[in-house]
Amino acid sequence: MTLPSQSNASTVAERLADIVGERHVLSRPSELLVYNSDGLPGYRRQPKLAVFPGNRDETIAVVRLLAAEGLPFVPRGAGTGLSGGALADDIVVIGVHRLKQIISLDVENRRATVEPGVVNLRLNKHVAPHGLLYAPDPSSEAACTIGGNVAENAGGPHCLKYGVTLNHVLAMTVVLPSGEVVELGSRIGERDGYDLRGAFIGSEGCFGLALDITVKLTPRPQTVRTLLADFMSIDAAARVTSSIISSGIVPAALEFMDGPTIRVVESSIYAAGYPKDAEAILLIELDGLEAGVAADLETVRQICLDGGARNVKVARNDAERLKLWQGRKKAFGAMGRLAPHLIVQDAVIPRTRLSDILATINAISEKYDVLVCNVFHAGDGNLHPNIAYSADDPAESERVHKAMTEIMRACIDVGGSITGEHGVGLDKMGYMESIFSEPSLNAMCELRGVFDPDHRSNPGKVVPIHSCKEWHSVASTRSVDRSRVSEPPALAAEPAHPSAQ
Amino acid sequence: MSTETVVAAIHESIADRAPLRINGRSNWLSAGRPVKAKKTLSLRDDSGVVGYVPGDLTLVVRAGTTLAEIESVTAEHDQWLPLDPFGTNDGTIGATIATASAGPLATSFGLPRDLLLGLEFVSGRGEVVRGGGKVVKNVAGFDLSRLLTGSWGTLGVITEVSLRLYARPKVDRTFVVTLSREEKTNAALIRAITVSPLAPFSLELVNGTAARQLALGDKPLCIVRFGGNSAVVESQLKALSQLARAEEVDQSIWTKFRALDREADSVIRISSLPTRFLGTAAGIVADSPPDVIISINPRRGVMRLATLQAGNSYSTEPGMPIDIPEDGKSSDTVLIFEKLPEDVWPVVSPNVAADSLSRGVKTVFDPHDLLNPGILGN
Repeated sequence: MTLPSQSNASTVAERLADIVGERHVLSRPSELLVYNSDGLPGYRRQPKLAVFPGNRDETIAVVRLLAAEGLPFVPRGAGTGLSGGALADDIVVIGVHRLKQIISLDVENRRATVEPGVVNLRLNKHVAPHGLLYAPDPSSEAACTIGGNVAENAGGPHCLKYGVTLNHVLAMTVVLPSGEVVELGSRIGERDGYDLRGAFIGSEGCFGLALDITVKLTPRPQTVRTLLADFMSIDAAARVTSSIISSGIVPAALEFMDGPTIRVVESSIYAAGYPKDAEAILLIELDGLEAGVAADLETVRQICLDGGARNVKVARNDAERLKLWQGRKKAFGAMGRLAPHLIVQDAVIPRTRLSDILATINAISEKYDVLVCNVFHAGDGNLHPNIAYSADDPAESERVHKAMTEIMRACIDVGGSITGEHGVGLDKMGYMESIFSEPSLNAMCELRGVFDPDHRSNPGKVVPIHSCKEWHSVASTRSVDRSRVSEPPALAAEPAHPSAQ
Repeated sequence: MSTETVVAAIHESIADRAPLRINGRSNWLSAGRPVKAKKTLSLRDDSGVVGYVPGDLTLVVRAGTTLAEIESVTAEHDQWLPLDPFGTNDGTIGATIATASAGPLATSFGLPRDLLLGLEFVSGRGEVVRGGGKVVKNVAGFDLSRLLTGSWGTLGVITEVSLRLYARPKVDRTFVVTLSREEKTNAALIRAITVSPLAPFSLELVNGTAARQLALGDKPLCIVRFGGNSAVVESQLKALSQLARAEEVDQSIWTKFRALDREADSVIRISSLPTRFLGTAAGIVADSPPDVIISINPRRGVMRLATLQAGNSYSTEPGMPIDIPEDGKSSDTVLIFEKLPEDVWPVVSPNVAADSLSRGVKTVFDPHDLLNPGILGN
């Protein structure tokens, strides 16, 4: 960025410290190490500075200072993202974790307004005594922030029935990269004009930074029942998934874990009592009014048994239910037992293709001699093939990345999407041209330009710069500092200089 | 008719500097602000199913496909698109998405933006752009689908739409509760129904004028639709019956309900916090002027007013829950004007896209201001 010399950098750091206090600005490389990756440890980028505003006014002042200096920045929540989206390559990180006030809770109208650094689970705990919940429940809910959820349009297991972040955010106050503060959406519920709220959600930090977010809360269901069905074949579990979906029942969640994942979870502290010899399990949750749930439970149990389930176990109480969920939600963490690094994909496929794709993934993992663990949201076809590996082993890294690329191609070929909830970030940018035409990518660039004409907010993410007509020509005619609007290397180049640099 | 035809039409329009009026089946030409365009681009003939895999519960159709066609194609597989905007099923899906039109089913299935998976459109630059995709969950790229939804054709001509479907409920029944003349009793009942754990597909309160048009007497009504498996419908009906005497009516009531404001020359939606309606809804539907058709969805916090006499509906009526400020803006009320007499627009709602971001968006997608110019304001 435009911090070429140390003296300049210190000046900016000092001026940021004037706004937020000295202890809330980090500039020493050793202090910044923590911020050099997100939940995908294969990608590392070292920020130049990190600044942590403590309230709304400080946040606006920080953004305005950076605007005045023409400096690019990356907004960052808890850093639990899985796309490399919150990485700052030698530029400023604005961390929002100190912005953690629950500003208001309106129980009767079922809505809450929160600051972006509020942790997802904390909001849920806060509203639970009132019989309410905030529906999007990413597996990282214990750490991730609502601000980060908005940036990524985060999902989670229960999004099958309840929808993703987009369906639960009514309005936001946003500070644009220019420092201008705008209101998007309506706290009341409806408005007319362009849906800028909808455009902002899932913009991955490229459109600015939310200062407050008004979310819709959902009444806690009267009844929740959770089933665990285990199978001796992956294919049977995949077919049962398709059968449940086409039966018309919309489970609250329908999660899939394969044999390798089950065994990793069961040997970790998150052991949930899954049958270790099974090749696949489905974790199915039904909720709603008691009478309706009881009837659906029987239907689902029968579909599982008809489809070859060995056992179908129904959790008898909340403790059993939570234990079943704990294993699923902590599966990513448990994979840390296998190898130091983990790569996870997020492709979405049409639900009728689940069985074919899982067979393809299996073939690819054999071809490249890598261990793929599948743990994913089967109900909406959102796959999460994980590969645990050591990024320090160049040969293994290369095999892993080749396998992942082939898996992604297979998903795209059946009409899928490259990401269902993790976002494009750095990780999936190389695939954007496989699913969007040049004019579509250019339209996205131009939309970004409306919110951020200089592309200073989270530069070099989501849409490859060479897809942006105007930006492409600007970048080639003006001698723009590469680190200022940096385009990350193509995906294939990534394994060559991964991890612990 | 195809996307290429639309591209050609827009290129011609760019060359001639001749703005276009975009429409589907011309059902809603009286909605929105007056459009200054001599030429019309109709998507009427660009219809049909592009892709439908029932097992995926997703459907891709051309924009000119009518809601009726979608209903008949999906019904063959016991599925449906739970979207019932005001008007008739003769309307096109393109127009429904472009205007973000919803109806009573939005109570449980959400707004068009919640059912939309992706779309293709031709921008005012004549470029074919796609946003979103065809799978039920997707965050790839910036969200152009949401941006186009409700943009009233001013950013691009929607040519293709992919949608999320649901299985048709095994049981789908509608009940009517006649509200008494006693306002207090009504208020208690409405509060009970609204905040109860009941999960109706639709819940609408209507005034006597609307009831007459529905051929259901002349007293204010509460109309409740329950769907799902038989157990869930029976249990809710039982709960409702404990609150009030509920009488079953034919499902065709919803077709009539959606046609309530067909003759109206002004239609206004008032969106507010649901609690704003809880205390007052009963009074409004019980004591409203006879020439105003009122329906209130207390769960969503939306009231719809239709009137034949321009000038009445946007002034503060006795019994209105909200003091509507003159500029139509308030911190806890949003007024959305769908239809107004031509001369009233500049007074009450000259522009809903005047902020700098909206202007920026318009400039990017329709730099020559050729698509439905004026419909959102100038």
